[in-house]
Amino acid sequence: MGRRRRGSGAAGVGALPEAIAALSRALPGGPSPETFRRAKFDRPEAVPALRRLLLGLLSSLPEDGAADPDGQARLLRSALCARGYPRGARLPESGAGGSRELLLALAWLLAREPLLERLLARARVQLGDEVTACQRDPTPLQCELQARPCPPAHGVDTEGPVDIRFLQWLMGKLQIRWRTLASSQWEHCALLGQIHAYTQGCHSDRELGHLSVPETEALRDPEGGQQLLWRLQCENKRLEAALQWRRCELLFWQWMDSVLVTCPPEEASRPPTPPRLSGLLLSPVSRELELLSRELQTLQEGLREAAGPLRVAWEARAGARGPELEAWQQMVQMAVTRELVALKQTWEHGRAPPQPHGPCRLVQSQAAVPAGLGLQAAELMGVLRSQEACLEEALSQLQAQCQQELARLSGALPGLLWILPSHGRLAPTPSGTR
Amino acid sequence: MLPADSSRRLVAELRGALDACAERQRELERSLRVSRRLLRAWDPAETPAPEPSPGRASEDPAAGKPASPASPAHGGAAPPRTVRGPPPAPALPPRTPTPQELKELELLTQALEKAVRVRKDISKAGQRSKTASLKSGSQAAAPAPATAVPPGASGRAGSRAAETRPSRGGCRASGPARTMTPGPQATKTGPGLRDQHEPPSADPHSPEVFRLKEKGTLLQLPSAYRKAASLNTRLWTQLSSTSMGDARDAAAAAKNRFLQTLQAAPASSTLSVAEVEAEVARLRAACSLLRLRQDEVLAADPGDWKQEYRRLLTLDGLGAMATECLQRLQDLRTVAEQQPEPWPEGRPPGTPLPCGPGTDPLWHPQRLLYSSTRELQALADLRLRVAMLKQQLHLQKVLMAELLPLVCRTEPPDLALCRAAHSLLCEGGQHFLCVLRDEAEPVD
Repeated sequence: MGRRRRGSGAAGVGALPEAIAALSRALPGGPSPETFRRAKFDRPEAVPALRRLLLGLLSSLPEDGAADPDGQARLLRSALCARGYPRGARLPESGAGGSRELLLALAWLLAREPLLERLLARARVQLGDEVTACQRDPTPLQCELQARPCPPAHGVDTEGPVDIRFLQWLMGKLQIRWRTLASSQWEHCALLGQIHAYTQGCHSDRELGHLSVPETEALRDPEGGQQLLWRLQCENKRLEAALQWRRCELLFWQWMDSVLVTCPPEEASRPPTPPRLSGLLLSPVSRELELLSRELQTLQEGLREAAGPLRVAWEARAGARGPELEAWQQMVQMAVTRELVALKQTWEHGRAPPQPHGPCRLVQSQAAVPAGLGLQAAELMGVLRSQEACLEEALSQLQAQCQQELARLSGALPGLLWILPSHGRLAPTPSGTR
Repeated sequence: MLPADSSRRLVAELRGALDACAERQRELERSLRVSRRLLRAWDPAETPAPEPSPGRASEDPAAGKPASPASPAHGGAAPPRTVRGPPPAPALPPRTPTPQELKELELLTQALEKAVRVRKDISKAGQRSKTASLKSGSQAAAPAPATAVPPGASGRAGSRAAETRPSRGGCRASGPARTMTPGPQATKTGPGLRDQHEPPSADPHSPEVFRLKEKGTLLQLPSAYRKAASLNTRLWTQLSSTSMGDARDAAAAAKNRFLQTLQAAPASSTLSVAEVEAEVARLRAACSLLRLRQDEVLAADPGDWKQEYRRLLTLDGLGAMATECLQRLQDLRTVAEQQPEPWPEGRPPGTPLPCGPGTDPLWHPQRLLYSSTRELQALADLRLRVAMLKQQLHLQKVLMAELLPLVCRTEPPDLALCRAAHSLLCEGGQHFLCVLRDEAEPVD
């Protein structure tokens, strides 16, 4: 072990092997430390393990043992390039070599994001009954139930034209499913409430107070309980390894610098364009862009319309004033600009969630003030209600827009009466508001 | 009929929505099954006894309906003795029974035989709720088919008791017993859950069951689990804490240096898929934020001329930002259209987590406190409603994009299509309008 003493004394000589060993323990099915060292020297023995690891990290496809190494190598290359990996051109196209490049790709993934933490969070053992307290703004960013706007993986419907009644039927089916979901959820919450109430006082952690469903299940079914315990212990080991790696991280990056140095210089003749976007991929993306562009255009027009009367009023009013007015105007302009720049920052850099985001463990507690332990359901409900109001508003605006369009259409067809379900006649309204 | 490509897209969207619901439903059903099973009487074949103390226990392997969820918590029929619940411990070694225990066993065997007889009678009726109480003389009946214990088994009480493995606990006097464990063996072995105050001899009625309702407070987690769980929480908290001192900063600097060196390779000017998606997400967020701000500004009551001027400037500024976003969108579209190359398997898997850029993907232990079942139900309801609304909004946009052009353009106008489109787009598919020919007007 410890032959490579590259650590420049930050945590003592010989700490690099520990760092690599910690990393290897923390990664899921991690390659052995020896693999890392071999990869630095571009040895072919290191290739399968690294490739398997990278594919597992990047792709959710089940590992296909029968897949040929070349196919896997190409898949890996495309996946990395899709993520924006800058050295995509140097990745191996065949299954045989390139372990050093694979190692660099792994390091790139580790550097860009807290990969270990994300992997651990993805695979973690759930000990409590969890509810996602996701409190983003109400844009349909693929949260929860939103329909995935991608071509169906199961290419079932390559049918031709459908009747619109089929669509209506699908919508109806969807609504029935929502209702079924709601009632199942109702029952589920009732059962959860019962289980929590019946096991009050059992938990060793006084703050939690009662058992959760996984814990109670572990007590009911001892085999399952043993499994849970074992998984928990494995996770603890991985967590410890991740923490250790975080402590020795510096050494690892210094070592990776040395790996980079040992690479042969870039060959200029190599064509540098790996596959980027695909035709198949384009249609959902371009459709989203289309939808978004429509929204933005509507927004733009709405703003222009709203600003119109204000501007007229202002022009009419401000005729008589003098230079103090100009100074004041500039001040207001600066203030408004500052506000809008701040607004822009929120979407440019992602909003730091003001409330905890992500799964929370449910705890039934009668205490009025829980000593700041966690999120209160009442608060969350308040936020959800405002989100609900926003969404309903947006939806009814869109529906009104459609109403207008169709009213316009009906206006073009004399001789027909359009009778709305519970409203009046469908007639084109001049001002366009419902 | 709709044109083929529109049809395909719309059907794909709706089917995607249906699949998302179906998946959520499946998960819910799974959780429901587990929870229902927990609230029924616990199956003794799986529940071991924790300690070799005497007492009766009979578990009824229930297969019936769950306890009615609306029933309030029972007043706890068993006096709360701190008896340890069944930990997932390995089987305890068998030991020789005391004479006292043998006597109890015999009495209990008789009671069990009676139980079997009675149970066979009432198994058809299957009123589980009536038999929940310990004190009641009724049996722990189950709608499960009562396969009777062979009467001869009771005669083997004495001999069997010695070989008892406490882990095979519970009275198997009835129910779809996996093993035809004779009653006495079971009663010997499933003691830990029982209340010891009740002398078995005095109680001729049924073997008892473990129900969460009555004895939930007696459960205890095993110490191995407790240690592991608290370690787990500690480790997660440590991992997710952002500050780890100077070592962290130095490491971050080294990491960035490495990244820069790596990226010194000639970078192409085109964007990768992930970058495009990130940009799209940012623009979406921008759109909604702009709209929110617009609503705020417009909703404010008109004030004096100074406030009006400010509002005017804000609206102008928002409009300029919207134009900027549109420009970026347009650039993105040209980029997106320029790079057709076949993709091996559709959407690249492992795409960035949903919920926007800059998400903290880290999980750390958090709690959500609720005070009553009603509150929990209301919360879950709201969450579902918000998710549904998001889905509905997305579908609305897609439908509008596809249907409105069709409806407005077809000549002569297809009334059926108009009617259906109106229903889908304006009424959420709930209502329909009628179209009548107006005979009062002169037909031209």
